[in-house]
Amino acid sequence: MRNKDASLINYLMLVPGVGFILLFIGSSIFLTFAQSFGLFSITGRSEFTLDNWVQVFLARESLDSIRFSLKMGVMSSVGTLLFAFPLALFFRKGGAGKGMLGSLVKIPLFIPALVAAFLIVNLLSFHGLVNTFLLRLNIIKEPMRMLNDRFGWGVIFIQIWKNLPFVLLIVMASIASIRDDTVDAARNLGAGYLSILFRIYIPLAMPGILVSMILMFIKAFGDFPIFSVAGPIYPSSVAVRMHVMATLYQEWDQAAVLGIIIIFTTFFVIWAYSRFAGLVQRED
Amino acid sequence: MSAIIETQAGTPLHVRQAKRKKQFYILLTAFFVAVQIIWVGIPIFMAVMWSLVDPANPWSFPDILPQSFSFEPWKFVFRYTNIVRALRTSYTVAPLAVLLSFVLSLPTAYVLGRKRVPGRKFFMLIVLLPIIMPGMVVALFLSRVFAGIGLSQTFFGLVLAHTLMGMPYMVRVLTTSFASIPQDVIDAAENLGAGTWVKIREIFLPMIRPGLLAGMIFAFVTSIEEFNLTFVIGTPTYETIPTILFSFMGYNFIRTNASVVALIMMAPNIVMLFIVERFLKSDYLAASLGKM
Repeated sequence: MRNKDASLINYLMLVPGVGFILLFIGSSIFLTFAQSFGLFSITGRSEFTLDNWVQVFLARESLDSIRFSLKMGVMSSVGTLLFAFPLALFFRKGGAGKGMLGSLVKIPLFIPALVAAFLIVNLLSFHGLVNTFLLRLNIIKEPMRMLNDRFGWGVIFIQIWKNLPFVLLIVMASIASIRDDTVDAARNLGAGYLSILFRIYIPLAMPGILVSMILMFIKAFGDFPIFSVAGPIYPSSVAVRMHVMATLYQEWDQAAVLGIIIIFTTFFVIWAYSRFAGLVQRED
Repeated sequence: MSAIIETQAGTPLHVRQAKRKKQFYILLTAFFVAVQIIWVGIPIFMAVMWSLVDPANPWSFPDILPQSFSFEPWKFVFRYTNIVRALRTSYTVAPLAVLLSFVLSLPTAYVLGRKRVPGRKFFMLIVLLPIIMPGMVVALFLSRVFAGIGLSQTFFGLVLAHTLMGMPYMVRVLTTSFASIPQDVIDAAENLGAGTWVKIREIFLPMIRPGLLAGMIFAFVTSIEEFNLTFVIGTPTYETIPTILFSFMGYNFIRTNASVVALIMMAPNIVMLFIVERFLKSDYLAASLGKM
């Protein structure tokens, strides 16, 4: 690439792509923001008010929803990483059969979230495969509750199953970029497996690990379909609560407040990431 | 020292170590393959089983497999539900969305990939917004925007929404492809007197073709499985396969019907996965989305 090129034609060419996205995403963010303060209201009068914010933060249901979604976000991203990282390390080396394993692993990536939720429901429900097996083997006396459970294990499991390949691909790419020389040098200097893992692989793969965890957190935090299939009856996830608020109770303004909370959390996490990533690797 | 070890064991130590290491990796691969077959295979196998349950002979505890099989659930779904219409909607919206996102992305990706415009990093981030932004928030409030300009519950609105969700993949992947064209090739062509049109036809189009294929597949798959926006903007006028599946999994949970729809939705995607695997050497997803 050559010198900075700020000619008008370049910006014009950006309009169809960037402009299209900005137009629709920007206008919906703007509307969410305005409605949360009572402006452009669909129901009732349009005037500036903080009432919606007060109402949302006074309701225990909303606070429980936010807490629950945060938990789902953290648990899902950490859980997926725990599964993905060993696999990614294996893919760096690996022997025969790696290609086949690669295609097998990637299948859930192309299975829509709703279908994934359904597939896992078949395993975990009362009359699912897991319960049937455990009952027949007399390990448990009565079926375990693994879906719609209060903790949200069902949701976490589906998130991990569906997103494992996504996280794996990103982590794998950053582990693959670690040079063999670095590892060999460490080994030469007497580093054991554990210190190679903690002082070479994990720090050098950190950019990929962070990106994948951030994206995973955002997905799980704002998730609607997986929660509505496998989540507990109470509390609901923020996105589900927002949808119920808007469509069932017609409280669009309060739904907008919840929307802003989701958007804010998302942007905050990305901002924190960009600060942290700057500390991890200094390159531009 | 090494001479002593050699005489003791017959083969040198490092050879035995290498052999043991190789065997270890074969075992490890076998282990991971086995785990993956269970991890991915069993859930899909269960769905296939459920879609073939004979209504006359229900599948209940303690049977591990159904007592008898029939195609009744498939016949039922195709005869009594809106699946055919949903299929038609899904598979007309998706190509249109892919086409539109390609047309809109092409100039943008060219500039982002080849020109050093000020604010390039910022634009790259903006492009990711549709996948970064939580789906339900965008869906609910974009539906208000659409309602305001009369696009709610329309086919064109649905295409626009699906285009929006596919754009990040298209722009990012095409940007990576444009950026990877060596400047030498373009300079050489210019030296030899190639005009804009010749450059586009002989250099840009052939060299972005793999990326274009990848971007199209990602955008297509995104459109086929898009749920949030379709659910809010299209339902009840337009149903796609995901919204039909959702209705089968909500208040009226019918497992056999849901399995049929799940399989219908899943099969083409897995075929496309193998197309991507076969025709694309490098990992476009990681290359284009691995960095924010």
